[in-house]
Amino acid sequence: MNPVAKWGLISVGVLLVAAYAGLSVMAGGPKDALFMLRYALPHMHRGTLKVGDDAPDAVLVDLDGASRFHIRERTGARPLVLVFGSFT
Amino acid sequence: MQLYDDYKDHVDFLTIYIREAHPQDEWQMKSNLKDKDDVCYTQPKNLEQRVAIASDFTKRFKFGVPFGIDQMSNAANDAYAAWPERLYVIDETGHISYKGGNGPFKYDPKEVRAWLAQRYGEVKHPEAAATPAEKKS
Repeated sequence: MNPVAKWGLISVGVLLVAAYAGLSVMAGGPKDALFMLRYALPHMHRGTLKVGDDAPDAVLVDLDGASRFHIRERTGARPLVLVFGSFT
Repeated sequence: MQLYDDYKDHVDFLTIYIREAHPQDEWQMKSNLKDKDDVCYTQPKNLEQRVAIASDFTKRFKFGVPFGIDQMSNAANDAYAAWPERLYVIDETGHISYKGGNGPFKYDPKEVRAWLAQRYGEVKHPEAAATPAEKKS
């Protein structure tokens, strides 16, 4: 194999191992890094919304499981703080 | 939620429950297992399951902040790029006035508090017992 190609491959390999090690430290372990790649990164986006943009609307379900309401029904009179999250 | 208690007289709040971040059948966190509150759920596969987990959360922590649940299409989550947790402030004209970063690392209620304090002054009521979500943040 061409020495340049050989060292290029070795460098890429070292970088990948280093990147995975860094991700493992951030995630809490090698297994967590794998789960992060599989389950977290596909769902995590910076989004295109910017300060000053019109706030998007969406229909939400009430805790009774039946009633529906729009996010934008809650805007207008006063500022609205949106807190997105889950239980786990 | 302390922020809610402090500023609910000035602004409205809406908590939006979105897809689970660390369910048992995906990337479960060890801290959820160790947690005395035992926060272990699988990722909801239908709206009934999503509503059940949201109800469990609000009942368990006597969560008094107005609450809405994202539909299974994840429309609200997608519109706001919210997962796993995120904060926004929408002003009276319906425009985004504050956009927080993605949690957990860039989820920062202190930034919202600063936004509110700039408008309404600093408000700090005596702290009530914090929920795990608040302790985390």
